[in-house]
Amino acid sequence: MVDAVARRARWMAFYILLAALAITFSGPLGWLILTALKAPNELSVFPIQLFPESPQWHNFADALTFVDFLGYARNSMILSTLTAVLTTISSAWMAYGFARLSAPGKKFWFGLLISTMMMPSIVTLIPTYLMFAKMGLVDTYVPWILWGLSGAAFMIFLFRQFFSGIPKELEEAAVLDGCGHVRIFWQIFLPQSWPMLAACMVLTFTGAWGDFIAPSLLLSDDTTTLAVALTRGYVNEQGFPVQNLLAAGSTMFILPVLLIFLFFQRFFVQGFSTSGLK
Amino acid sequence: MTATLAASTEDAPPAPEVKRRGRGRSGQRTRTFYLFVGPWIAGFVLLTLFPLGYAFWMSLTNTDGLSPNWSYVGFENYVRVFQDTQTIESLGRTGIFMLATVPTGVAAGLAMAVLLNRDFRGRTLFRALFYLPAVVPGVAAALTFKIIFDKNAGAANAAVGAVGGEPISWLADPYTRFVLILMILWGVGGSMIISLAALQDVPRELLEAAKVDGASPAYSFFKITLPILSPIIFFQVVTGVIGSLQVFVPSLLLAPVNGPAAVTAVPEGNYFFMVHVYAEYFAKSHFGYASALLWVLFAFVLLITGIVFKLGNRSVFYGGVDPTEKEGS
Repeated sequence: MVDAVARRARWMAFYILLAALAITFSGPLGWLILTALKAPNELSVFPIQLFPESPQWHNFADALTFVDFLGYARNSMILSTLTAVLTTISSAWMAYGFARLSAPGKKFWFGLLISTMMMPSIVTLIPTYLMFAKMGLVDTYVPWILWGLSGAAFMIFLFRQFFSGIPKELEEAAVLDGCGHVRIFWQIFLPQSWPMLAACMVLTFTGAWGDFIAPSLLLSDDTTTLAVALTRGYVNEQGFPVQNLLAAGSTMFILPVLLIFLFFQRFFVQGFSTSGLK
Repeated sequence: MTATLAASTEDAPPAPEVKRRGRGRSGQRTRTFYLFVGPWIAGFVLLTLFPLGYAFWMSLTNTDGLSPNWSYVGFENYVRVFQDTQTIESLGRTGIFMLATVPTGVAAGLAMAVLLNRDFRGRTLFRALFYLPAVVPGVAAALTFKIIFDKNAGAANAAVGAVGGEPISWLADPYTRFVLILMILWGVGGSMIISLAALQDVPRELLEAAKVDGASPAYSFFKITLPILSPIIFFQVVTGVIGSLQVFVPSLLLAPVNGPAAVTAVPEGNYFFMVHVYAEYFAKSHFGYASALLWVLFAFVLLITGIVFKLGNRSVFYGGVDPTEKEGS
């Protein structure tokens, strides 16, 4: 009896703790949405109100036209897709070399690859930007193509771990059949690694979608991404932020990322646990 | 890219290794390796090595990036680094920020992972709720926190008002540093998800055997779980330390002014080392000096990584496998 009561009390405490944490972590997004639904006059009353008198759903439509939201979203989409596709394919391509081929210097290059994972990316970004500026590549998407083609060290590493788990017999048979490594890569390794491909696509896509600093350095007001436009666009004539529209715009900016992650969630947790991060 | 060229100009046919003499075959093998790895090497040279070298060259000059009148100044810029009080202070602030976010973040992430690492109703839901903030892009997180801590319409001042206080300017000194730390810790779910995945690798039999032997849960956690988790904790600390040394985008985004002028409006509390570097480049056009600062940061990161790895190798348990020996070609 006493035991059962103690156990129930423990479970109660457990769920109360979880609920408190859940409120803490979802609270900020909750407030963002509440703000997005407020009328302008509700943003300057004191004491501050939690809930809008009546939800102003049209704020979301207004946010789409206050700045050229869809235009910037299109820029973000192009840039993120470009980055995701190129980075994924090229990282897998290079990982195949590290996983399955050998040559003098391989150990050196692999060690270098691992150490670039620790490289402070911000250190190279500013000089890289200056270099692109000198080359006249500012305000184009060429830098992202170059970044994509040269892959991402972390992704190469994950792909390499994944490829190392593919049985050697498969490709030995293919070699006997006269299959070259390029074909082995495209026809055996890539189809086998769709979970890694999807994980890499999702991570690089969302990374590029949310990236602020590279587009803010490299792109102009017209070609820039939604991430940058959000921080600059929603201001009134006096230069003060239009909070409700900014909140509505931010919500719509976050939404695709959240949907992607909710959709891939299960598989994400698995992806990390099996991909050699340990 | 260079490897592609090399492979096509040589007479070697792209066909697989038919019978060829030893050297030719290994030459072909080497070429194939570089065909695959070449793009990464090219990218490394063009997009990492060259920019680093370019920055180093700039750090030896007094260039402003535009004017053709510049000259070599030797290591003068590096001497200045250690005399510039703004640099020293911003570095100190960065260190405090690191101490405030890295240990707490890793510990909180681990605690939440342990909390979720059992079977109960709603596990997936709670895991998703805790993790969601970590996938919210930094820009959106900053805008959200700016709205929450807005002086006139934010939730924070709504709470202050509810207890009868006067509105506080959260985004100015001295409060803004706490807003930034809270914002970073809001994303602790990222650390949780990594620790949660690692917890799956703790063998259940081991924990059950300990339980049978009368070990308390706390004892099992510190003597079994934690040692097994040590590599992943170590990994998080290293990436956390390196990440926090580079922190500056959140400072820009939380600044009261947006756009290119943001860097000049960052409150002192959030004026970290990289903010200083950014300001020296783009607000003051001191390209030479800023490049020297960048190189000092780079060297510092290398040094810290080295130290952390040395320390880590002694206190981290790798399950009897030396991770450096894992690579089998």
